[in-house]
Amino acid sequence: MSWLDRDRTIAPPGFNRWLIPPAALAVHLCIGQAYATSVYKTALVAHFDASLVQIGVIFSIAIVMLGLSAAVMGTWVDTHGPRKAMFFAALFWSGGFLVGSLGIFSNQLWLVYLGYGFIGGIGLGIGYISPVSTLIKWFPDRPGLATGMAIMGFGGGALIASPVSTALLAFYDPNSGVAGWVPSGDSVGKLFLTLAVIYLAYMMFGAFTIKVPAPGWTPAGFDPSKVRAKALVTNNHVSAKNAIRTRQFWSLWVVLFCNVTAGIGILEQAAPMIQDFFRQNDGNSLVSATVAGGFVGLLSLANMGGRFIWSATSDKTGRKNIYMVYLGVGTVLYLLLALFGPSTTTLYVILAFVIISFYGGGFATAPAYLRDLFGTFQVGAIHGRLLTAWSAAGIAGPLIVNSFLDAQGAPGELTAAAYQPALLTMVGLLIVGFIANLFVRPVHSDHHEPDRALVGAVAKEARA
Amino acid sequence: MKNIQVFVVWALVGIPLAFGIFQTLAKVTALFG
Repeated sequence: MSWLDRDRTIAPPGFNRWLIPPAALAVHLCIGQAYATSVYKTALVAHFDASLVQIGVIFSIAIVMLGLSAAVMGTWVDTHGPRKAMFFAALFWSGGFLVGSLGIFSNQLWLVYLGYGFIGGIGLGIGYISPVSTLIKWFPDRPGLATGMAIMGFGGGALIASPVSTALLAFYDPNSGVAGWVPSGDSVGKLFLTLAVIYLAYMMFGAFTIKVPAPGWTPAGFDPSKVRAKALVTNNHVSAKNAIRTRQFWSLWVVLFCNVTAGIGILEQAAPMIQDFFRQNDGNSLVSATVAGGFVGLLSLANMGGRFIWSATSDKTGRKNIYMVYLGVGTVLYLLLALFGPSTTTLYVILAFVIISFYGGGFATAPAYLRDLFGTFQVGAIHGRLLTAWSAAGIAGPLIVNSFLDAQGAPGELTAAAYQPALLTMVGLLIVGFIANLFVRPVHSDHHEPDRALVGAVAKEARA
Repeated sequence: MKNIQVFVVWALVGIPLAFGIFQTLAKVTALFG
């Protein structure tokens, strides 16, 4: 497997760095399928005769494994380079679909947990962090733009997977034309097999396109001294082991956790929430299911667009300032949503759109923030450890919203008032995140890697 | 030649992404319909 190693992927002189973002996008567009599981959720409920919660566990395992594998494998990814990481991410992600399809065909739900959830989740984690540090090294002048382009793919992946999966399910199921059609288990199994093949090919394309820059390479016209001039941008390096001992890492962990928890609160409930906000006294909503579906689509675009636009903007504003916007302006917008959201659908849609764009921006700007604080040495590994905040938020966000809503009434009978306690809780969380961001200061020199150690580590990388 | 390679690689990710965005925009029109 040495042909996948970092030293075999060093770019030759004159290599065009604009080949790197699409390579990273190829991986993120595939693993972004994780946000399109709702397409076959009902079909799996019917096939396994299981509850929604039992089927929802598949996605939960995948997200928890994403955070855990990113945290555990981060150092391995940084050491062995992006090609090997993407290669194994492709095998895990594709293998997860294969084992999952076996579970569907044999009617064994635990195999779907093992396949899509556990094995696929490892592919998610490795795939998510695999191109990050490489992109930052190729774009030292615009790290926010570079990571924004890649992580945008994770939001965009669902936009592709959702219509493609719907079309494939209809193609594989002979009963697809029947009114009230729910795809058969057999068609979902075949869909999994098809996705396994497509994603394997596509992610391998990314793996074999990506290259790392030669040591000491800088883009033409880039002056590193300008980067050093900014207070929060270090020219030193901190190892992943040391980074998690710093206040800055845990401040960022809290920032990401609060931002993601608040965003998931809206995203997870998007369709029923807009209908409930505009429910009339007679129990009917002014917003139809079709319109609510359009709203969910709009939020997906906000999530994807926010990842690119806000992260690229952070190159100009600075990372700390842009998080002030995500969390500070986000707090105000959440408050407006809770208090005035029910007044008009236009206001509601605009507020939710901007809030979700901040949610996406928070994800995409995190790697560049880490690079500013800890340097490029093990930024992928540090990013991996930071993503445990996502796993925790993936549990906390829905738990907060659903707990409040369960106490307020039954689904289909809720009104805007039922959402106020949950939304105000999110306001509180965003304030906590805002304060945590205020505490972010340059990392103390005690945590910096001595140059000799860094050189040794780089040499070890080259021998590996 | 290098520019063609960049164009092709971007097209391979850009076309599916554009497809996904247009499919989603078609759904979003319901919101303003």
